Amino acid sequence: MVSGENSEIQSSDKIVLELMDSMDSYLLFMNSLSSSLREGWLELASARHSMGASRISSALFDLKSHSAATTLQLNHQDAGPKSEESHFSLCKWASSESPKSCSEEAKFEEDKLLQKKSNSPKVLNQDGSSNSEVQEEVSEAPEATESPCTVEDQARKERLKSLSMFGVLVCPKLRAAQSSFETALETLVEVANKRADLLNAYDQMREKKESTTK
Amino acid sequence: MANRAPVRTNNSALIAMIADEDTITGFLLAGVGNVDLRRKTNYLIVDSSLMAHVAAVVNTDFSPDEVVLETTVKQIEDAFKEFTTREDIAIVLISQYVANMIRFLVDSYNKPIPAILEIPSKDHPYDPAHDSVLSRVKYLFSAESVAGDRR
Repeated sequence: MVSGENSEIQSSDKIVLELMDSMDSYLLFMNSLSSSLREGWLELASARHSMGASRISSALFDLKSHSAATTLQLNHQDAGPKSEESHFSLCKWASSESPKSCSEEAKFEEDKLLQKKSNSPKVLNQDGSSNSEVQEEVSEAPEATESPCTVEDQARKERLKSLSMFGVLVCPKLRAAQSSFETALETLVEVANKRADLLNAYDQMREKKESTTK
Repeated sequence: MANRAPVRTNNSALIAMIADEDTITGFLLAGVGNVDLRRKTNYLIVDSSLMAHVAAVVNTDFSPDEVVLETTVKQIEDAFKEFTTREDIAIVLISQYVANMIRFLVDSYNKPIPAILEIPSKDHPYDPAHDSVLSRVKYLFSAESVAGDRR
């Protein structure tokens, strides 16, 4: 009898702890998101300052029919009591021509590549075979299609595509803003997963509470 | 520019946004922008000047541009309803300041997918006290403590 009560208390304590833990992580990720966004806004403002307000404006957004290069993968498995299970994962810069090519490993390589680009915008080719300007890459797109399309090439092409709505010659600050918003997007997915955990624990706790009040 | 055929994997879903211009611009640079064949976008730009105007008007009784205000909030409501009912959207990002304008809708929404995430905006930092998810948890605990006191 006493052991049954103890196990009941332990299970409810576990739910409360899970709830508190996911709430803490949620707030931490939100904090990190705020920093990434602040960084992004500052870089965007710098880019606007150097390029001019008319060059970075919503009037230049691409309104032609196109699909998103960065999407989410939904994990349809019910998390249940296993709160560690994530529901969303980010699929970055997946071209519609090869949509399966996105992976977590590739994502980190892409990030490294972007870091290199944002630090030294003139050096592009990561194997060091040739140095060319970023803008030239846009015009040399057909050449890239001839070579085997690696994940990095594809990510680079997609990044240039999204930057090109603001022109061919863009400020390095705009690239830095792009990188910051990509980081923010990764954090957002973490926030969404923690939110799912939080709601899961919340539902469990509410059920528990309702069953005890009956 | 983007002459790709809209082909996607089975499980892939979009991220929708209701936010200020700079936030939308940033996330479009990150590649989340989607325009379908009917030219429908997955984002709604809430003009910051209009937002300031709305805030100013809300604090006073009289508004000469009341129609503009109503239209704007209605636009936000419509976009929110549209994004939360679309099956191809998994996350709806909404600036917390904008979410405060349609708080009744945001708080009453309780489906897991699409997930509503309240994000900070340039002029308004994130306030956990206004977050709908955290408010729910807070309410649960406060209700529990009241019940505990009664016992």
